[in-house]
Order: sequence, then structure tokens, then C-alpha cells
Amino acid sequence: MTDLDRRDILGMGALGLAAAAFPGFASAQEGGDAAMRVLPPDMDRETFGRAVAELRAIVGENWVLADVESAISYDKSYIPDPRDMHVPSGAVAPASAEEVQAIVRVANRYRLPLWPVSTGKNMGYGQATPATPGQMVLDLKRMNRILDVDPDLGTALLEPGVTYQQLQNYLDDNAIPLWLDVPTVGPIASPVGNTLDRGVGYTPYGDHFTFQCGMEVVLPDGEILRTGMGSTSNPSAWQAFKWGYGPYLDGLFTQSNFGIVTKMGMWLMPAPPVYKPFMIRHPDMEDVAKIVETMRPLRVSSLIPNVNLMMGAAYQLAMFNRRSDVWDGEGPVTDEAIKRAARAEGLGMWNTYFALYGTEEMIAAIEPIVTGAIEASDGEVLTEVEMGDNPYFHHHATLMRGGLSLEEIGIVRWKGAGGGLAWFAPVAPAKGEETAQQTQLAKQILGRHGFDYTAAYAIGWRELHHIIALLYDKSDPEDEARADQCYRELVTGFGERGWASYRTGVASMDLVASQYGETNRAFNAKLKRAIDPNGIIAPGKSGIA
Amino acid sequence: MRPAAIVVLGTALATACGASNAPPSDTPRPPEQVYRETCGYCHGANVGPVIRGRQLPPAAVRPIVRQGSNAMPAFRPTEISDSELDALAVWLEASEADPQEQGQ
Repeated sequence: MTDLDRRDILGMGALGLAAAAFPGFASAQEGGDAAMRVLPPDMDRETFGRAVAELRAIVGENWVLADVESAISYDKSYIPDPRDMHVPSGAVAPASAEEVQAIVRVANRYRLPLWPVSTGKNMGYGQATPATPGQMVLDLKRMNRILDVDPDLGTALLEPGVTYQQLQNYLDDNAIPLWLDVPTVGPIASPVGNTLDRGVGYTPYGDHFTFQCGMEVVLPDGEILRTGMGSTSNPSAWQAFKWGYGPYLDGLFTQSNFGIVTKMGMWLMPAPPVYKPFMIRHPDMEDVAKIVETMRPLRVSSLIPNVNLMMGAAYQLAMFNRRSDVWDGEGPVTDEAIKRAARAEGLGMWNTYFALYGTEEMIAAIEPIVTGAIEASDGEVLTEVEMGDNPYFHHHATLMRGGLSLEEIGIVRWKGAGGGLAWFAPVAPAKGEETAQQTQLAKQILGRHGFDYTAAYAIGWRELHHIIALLYDKSDPEDEARADQCYRELVTGFGERGWASYRTGVASMDLVASQYGETNRAFNAKLKRAIDPNGIIAPGKSGIA
Repeated sequence: MRPAAIVVLGTALATACGASNAPPSDTPRPPEQVYRETCGYCHGANVGPVIRGRQLPPAAVRPIVRQGSNAMPAFRPTEISDSELDALAVWLEASEADPQEQGQ
């Protein structure tokens, strides 16, 4: 289906639609057991039923979703999962930290593994699905209070279920001149969830964990820990000072399974008087090395205060086009075909986005330094004057001021309506020489499986992220199996060269963890055993079992 | 498209925040708001197909939203409640097409 076809919908009942979209749904029905889903490992049906009854007593009847139909939303995932390994047993949705504590106590008694999600919109990394089958999703979306926003300090204290949209509405309703920093799926995603997964955005506050300050955590034994200044007798500096005293603990609760974060503090950027977005256009694939060399000193010195995002033309085109619009040949789409299509849309092979923020005088002083350096690299420096309503420029100009958009998720339809996306995101130092080898290796591995090089590079500060969108057709089981194999080869192939991922999907957490060394893994495992002896919080998260 | 080159922003100072220690609200949001703040970011925004003004049957809309058919994300009862979804589906069926919207 290239479009939502009303006749098809009319011809299918709800169950038919479900069966078409989710083969597992149909087989469960046919198996004569409509009530039960995948069970937690080593747990029989009766025990699971008793655990569910206890959870219902805590959160209410409606907020435990443990049958096929009601829990189906938790199965959705864009990443390849050809063997259906990442299916939860159900979900429980508490409304408060006290309910989370009570759930954790039940989970300990039954050894019921819980997979916490904030809004479960970790697109291209597995959404709400767990690292191992049968975990129960701990859906924190109902905990959606904005507990505090301090307009003077530019701080906020949020529960995990708050979305960027909700926070923006709050800032608008109260005329608070603070900016958000959003990931690409801002409206429906959670600042807490994105920060805990060490996600990024596009304003000067783009490294979200850097701008996090203070947490409340329900520990695996049900106790509540407040980090930083949060446990002092007057925690008024909880959101103002990150470090508190003694070992810094907040990092333990990111990309990990040592606790359930129920409140998180974060810093918000004061809206600058003037915001000016730029785009730099370079014509050739090999230009990316000199772009990195040009941009690094500007970024390291903070003359440019936000991430320098170098968007490859194929990735850009995938946002607003389908693959069949630009390529009908065999194998991966060629650079020539991409270049032709890109030119028609006002794009180069690399399109680098950055912005300046400040007063008119500040921007007037910095702009000539920046543009002089860029023009020396043969890049075309473009602003709204030249780009006008160009949708690509408009999109990135929106993101770099923390604006809400879901346009970029259009890439999941590059290969067809079936969707399919897995992010591969290896890290290197911000050196131009790293790019040629990486691009070559990526194209080689992707090409072997028939996939396109839809990618971007980003200089966060001193590091270079290579962000590769592995786009495939999830409605085609063969394409899904190829994508799964290809992703593993990307992780392994890049890992052998020392380019390991900063983040990965639920299907590859062990694989990536293995690249960070046995001592590191053993240390994490030792912490896990000490903190969570029953292994109830998200076993397998980041390869920590 | 909104102009984006140089945006001079307001500097109004806010004093009262009204942040909440109350329990989460279960008050259903009106369908227009659910559409604007969730569906409309893709449908009609050049990402997903246009769905307004097409008399889509509510009985089909509900499972599509819950399952996330094809390339669409799934939306859970904790994100869009059952009553919000029912109202949204009825509103969508009766909605007029918006000529500003573009589909994919």
C-alpha cells in the first residue's frame, strides 16, 4: 500500500487488520489462548496471573495490559526482529513513584522483569520493546506532571511521561521565554526518556545528559534515591548544581538498568534575542573530510555553539521522497542518482547545518569569521535569504531552535509503506581523516545487502557521530532478515576498527557492549548483582544481564 | 512555511509557573488537540497520508492507532486514552479536508 486505502480498511475488521500487521497476533488467537501473551522466562501461566492480579491491585484494573489485544501497542518496533525476540509479556502503567515502589516490590517477589519506558518512542532503537522476551513494560507515561519550571534559573523538574509537546505547551501558556532542545521525534517523545538514553538535539543544549541536573530514582529494592543536592535538608539547589558531594551517581541511571528514574531535573536555554540558522552546501561525497576539518575549530572553540550536522543527500531525500522517486535500478541507489535528485531539491551531497544565537552585535561579529572559514573550504554558505521555503532548510532551522517536528520520521517509508529503521551510530574523534574510511566501510557493508547509504555526520563537540539510518521494508520478511544481518555486520565491522556505537537498539545491546571491553562488562555486571540481585529491572539493557 | 532566518524573540518575564504537584489529569483532551499535537505532525505534513476529509470509518481508525499499522508508530492507551481515541475517530470521520495539508 503506498497510501491509506479506504477500501482495504473497509474490507478488514479490526482483527483482520491486526492479523495482517502482526502475524504473532493471529497465531495466538488460533492457538486457542486469546488471553495470554509471551510469558516472562521461567514463569508459568498461573504465577504470571497472580503477579498480574497483584499489579492490578496497585495501579487499577485498567492499567495492567496483559492480554493480546490490549497490549498490542507495546509490540510495535521499526528495528529488524526476524525471530520475534523482543516481545513483552504485557505492560503496567503506574501513576506515581509510590506505585512504582509497590510494583518493584511485587516484581522482586515474583522475579518479574520490568522494562521501564517513559513514552516508548525510541524510534529506530526498539520503541517500547524489551531486550529479552517476556519482560513486562513499565509504562511511565501516566506520570506526566511538570513539577517545577524556574524561569530565572532556566530549570525544570519533570516526570518521565511528560512529552516535549507538553513542556512546550506549558512554556507557551505561561509565557516563559525558555527554549526546549528536542530530538527529531520531539512532540511524542519524553525529555526524561531521551536524556536517560543519552539522546541529542540541535540547539546549544543538544547533549541532553550534559544539561540534566538531579534525579529521583526508585531503586530495585523499592527505596527512593535522590541524586545531587536532592537529599539535603533543603533541596532548593537540586536543579541548580549537578554534582552534589561524593561520587557522581546520575550517570549510573543512564543507558542502564540500576533503577527507575521517576523525576529528572534539566536545564533549559534562555531564548536568545536573535537566532540565525545556516546551511552549507558541498557538491561531492568526498567533501565531508574537509567539512569536518573546517567545522571542528569553530565548534571546539564554541564560536558555533550547537552541533554541526552534516546531512548526506540520500538521508535528506528520504525525509520527503520515496526511494522509487529517485531510483529504479538494481542494488543500492548510486551516488549519481542521489546527486541528480538532490540538485533538483536545492541540496548538495553534504548539507551542513548550524546556527548562531545571541544579540545582533554578537552574530554580526561571529558570522564573518565563520563564513570566511567555510568559504575557504569551497562550501556555499546559505541562509533564509537564499533558501526561502526550502523544506529541508526549514526543517533544520526548526530543530536548531528546539521547534517541534516529526518530519524526519518520513525516512521510515523510504523503501515502502511497511516501514523499517535501525539507527547505527558509531563514534570517532572529529577528524576529517576518519570520514573517508567510515563512509567507504559503511557503503561496502550496506551495499553487500542491497541497502542505501542514508547517513549523516555530526560534530557534537570534539567527537564525530556517524549516524546511519538502515532503511528497509519491514513488511517483507526477507528484507527484515537482511537488515538484521546487515546491522550486525555494521556493528562488528566498525567495532573492529575501534568505531563503537554510542547507543544501539534492543536487538544489539549485547553485541555493542562486548566492544567496550570485558573489564567494563564485568564491572557493570558486579554492580547489577549488588543493586538488583533478582534481576528485575530491564535485564539485558546495554548488555547488562 | 514559517520564516526562520532571524527571529527576534519576546523577552516577557514570567513569574508564576503553576507547575503541578497534583496527580496526573485524566481529563480527556478534545480531538482537535490530539490531532494537532500527534497525528497532524505526520498526516498532512508530507510524511503520512492525508486522513482528514476522507470519511475514514472509526472502527478502522482505532486499531490502526493502537497497532501502528505499517510505518506508523503505535499509540498506547497511556498516550491517547480510549475515550480520546473514540472521540478522535468520530471527529476524523466527520472532518473536512484541509487544503493546506499535503500527503505522502
